[in-house]
Amino acid sequence: MSELLRIEHLSKSFGRKQVLKDLSLSVESGRVYGLLGRNGEGKTTLARILMGVIPADGGVITFKGRRIGFGQSAYKREFGYVPEDPFFYEDMTIRGLVNFNARFYPRWDRKRIAADLERFGLDPKSRFGTLSRGQKLKLGLAVALAAAPEFLILDDPTSGLDVPTRQDFLRDVIRELAASGTTVLFATHLVHELERIVERLLVLHGGRLIVDEDFDKVKARHQASLEDIFVRLTAEA
Amino acid sequence: MFAALYFKEWREKALVFFFELGVLVALLAAPFLFRDRADVQEWLVYAILMIFFPFAALVLGAAGFETESGQGAWAYLFSRPVSRPTIWLSKFGALLSMFAALWLVFYVARAVLPSVAELAELPGFVFPMYDLGTVFPWWSLGLSLFLLMVAFSLSLLRGRQFNILVVALILGLLFPAVLWALVVSRTGGLMAWLAPARAFRTLLIGLILITLAFAGASLLTLKRSDFSQPGKQLRTFVGWLAAFLALAATVTVGSALFIPVPGERHLDFIGSADNWAVYCTERGLFSYDAASGRVRWLTKRQNALSWFNSIAKDRLAYTVKKLESRNDVTQEIWVTNTDGTGQKCLVGRDTPGAWLPDDSIRSLAISPDGRTIAILTESVSRHEKLKTWRTATLWTVNADGSGLEKRSLEAMFPDGPEENLYLAFAAWAREGKVLIIVKRCSREPVRWSLWAYDLERRTAIKLRDDAAPVSWWPLNPKSRDVLAVRHRHGDEWPGTLALLNLASGEETEIAGVGNLRVRWDPNEEKLLLIDRRKGPEARESSVLTVYSLAAGKAIAERTFTDLDDIYYGYWTTWMPDGQSLLAIDRKGRSLRILGPELEDAGRIDLPARIQKPSGFEVVGDKVLILASSKKSFRGSLWRFDLVKKSWKRLY
Repeated sequence: MSELLRIEHLSKSFGRKQVLKDLSLSVESGRVYGLLGRNGEGKTTLARILMGVIPADGGVITFKGRRIGFGQSAYKREFGYVPEDPFFYEDMTIRGLVNFNARFYPRWDRKRIAADLERFGLDPKSRFGTLSRGQKLKLGLAVALAAAPEFLILDDPTSGLDVPTRQDFLRDVIRELAASGTTVLFATHLVHELERIVERLLVLHGGRLIVDEDFDKVKARHQASLEDIFVRLTAEA
Repeated sequence: MFAALYFKEWREKALVFFFELGVLVALLAAPFLFRDRADVQEWLVYAILMIFFPFAALVLGAAGFETESGQGAWAYLFSRPVSRPTIWLSKFGALLSMFAALWLVFYVARAVLPSVAELAELPGFVFPMYDLGTVFPWWSLGLSLFLLMVAFSLSLLRGRQFNILVVALILGLLFPAVLWALVVSRTGGLMAWLAPARAFRTLLIGLILITLAFAGASLLTLKRSDFSQPGKQLRTFVGWLAAFLALAATVTVGSALFIPVPGERHLDFIGSADNWAVYCTERGLFSYDAASGRVRWLTKRQNALSWFNSIAKDRLAYTVKKLESRNDVTQEIWVTNTDGTGQKCLVGRDTPGAWLPDDSIRSLAISPDGRTIAILTESVSRHEKLKTWRTATLWTVNADGSGLEKRSLEAMFPDGPEENLYLAFAAWAREGKVLIIVKRCSREPVRWSLWAYDLERRTAIKLRDDAAPVSWWPLNPKSRDVLAVRHRHGDEWPGTLALLNLASGEETEIAGVGNLRVRWDPNEEKLLLIDRRKGPEARESSVLTVYSLAAGKAIAERTFTDLDDIYYGYWTTWMPDGQSLLAIDRKGRSLRILGPELEDAGRIDLPARIQKPSGFEVVGDKVLILASSKKSFRGSLWRFDLVKKSWKRLY
């Protein structure tokens, strides 16, 4: 598999608190990455840096061999992003939001988003401000998928979903994406969510990546559930 | 992408826009409810220009990033594949187009509604030193755009919209106020009074650069800063703004100091004598000393200078219209020495003796010895339909401000007030004891007459009917009681030219057709004039003529047939030696020196930058030339050194 994304010596601080310390990572295309970390360990910060929402203090990010600088935007056409906090424009209707996003992505799939909206039970006429958190997350996911991204970042997306939807999401959507060759970075603190879908495990702790290994190998070595492995590894670190 | 963001902004801010549009339409329609209240109509228009548009701009600007700030959509917007400068441009573009739409409505109303067009001009108290006239109210548009940019820039800082509004209002008014204070204060070199054109340009440059400073600071803050850290974002904005403001201040000061202003407005000569000339600009009266090459600013422009000035014996008398308010205008008489000393208000609001509140000054003359100033005023006796009947009064006052006297001119009005009256001083006679006054009555048939007022006897007698002075300035030679007069019948043009002896009343005809103005030589022995004669085949030609008083005849003539050469007649004056003459050859773009026989004796090419010479004076060994600009009312003043053969632009 070819390298899709490379992160080298990435660092980020908020005031005196250093959230990411010299973080390096290589992401191969077509795989599902599970990024585990406790609350406040920097998962959202990493996702936001990758999406160009906030600048890194240092480090280099390359996508498909090309360096990504803060302020560049073209690469984001190939990125999908479902943020942890689904803050969109409250007064916009779902249809308005979909049309607004369609202008930005050259591979926008209208049929797919129509199908996904129907699948998630979202009425295009509804205003974003009237949706529940779960509905907002579904809409965010539908919009991200319609862009047909090569690299999809899911920042703790299932925390607000009900159990049936979450299972549906994990079982169907992620597997479907993996099968289609989309690279997925699934950041979460809900460890058990990842067990069924993750191919490579990343554990973020103390601002550093303490695990970057195929999940099968990690599991074989520790002979335990992912939750136990995570607790053990973070305790050792 | 730009279009998507642009229309998103329009949709988001549509409510604010249509609310503002409704208020504007209501304000524009309101004058129809007050048809009989001109003052209310006027203030409604001012309310639109001075209050509505600035606040509309503030509200629109403060709403710039309000949605992202209030609804936390930063991360969502910035994660889209669109550059941040595009986000900035699309947002500002949408706000700007909304604001432009509001102005378009106003523009249409201004074009359609005369009441709006008449009132939508610059209120005098906004730029008292700069008369912008009845032009489109760019000042309001400019101020509003400035406020729009300030509020839009501050809306990035994720504060509450009301706080942003207040801060933007304070900053938006503070910066123009500081700039204004600088140009009117001593710190700014009293630029507003010394050089209004420069002050106005400095204000404009300053405001534009401050606007760009806010734009640059907000754009770079949006492009580079971390929006998850409001404190850091604020520091970034303040840092960029401080840097850009410092740059703006440097460039503004630099432009004020080093970039010349393209000409003064209302530049014109007032008079000259021996080694100095007096000229006026929009900022007052100036004297140019040919010996030292020094320009002295004699008078500050005090609201509005009137046209009446008179020079004698190194002393200048002039009138000033002092405007306290639209309905409170005082006419004042001032005097000053031509070296700038002894400036004094002789008659005015604050001087003893109430001064002619309803009368208007029509003419001013300072006596040859510089001790007495005579003023002609006219007052309206009655109105009837569109006609007015007037009478006139003569006033005299000593140059030290004492002895203001009102003198009756009843003898000049045997039939009472006259319709469409015109009076002016024509000359001083008998060593300043007699004033020659020309009177024109426009009622058909138009009549001109010359009168002599004896200051000692307080009597006015008619000297001649159908006679008027040929030249209004200088009035007449200082050393001779003689006046060049044109006999005219009604407004027939031209008439015959004669020399009237003011002491004996004798008259000598010197030219069949005296045209244009005459010029006495420095020794007051010869007269330069232009005569018009019928040549072969009845073709009319202009004859430049030098008439000698001693010889009692023309001693030199030069005929011009080319119409452009007619300027030789008008733009010709004596050189200091009293023998040769200097003329402006507008066609040949040069100064021509003419010898005693009016033959060509030399030529001085005009600099290329003097596009259109419009007047000149020879003062000592210097020639001052006025050059008009393509834009009306603007001119530049040039000096040519006859000895060093060098040019210099004074303004």
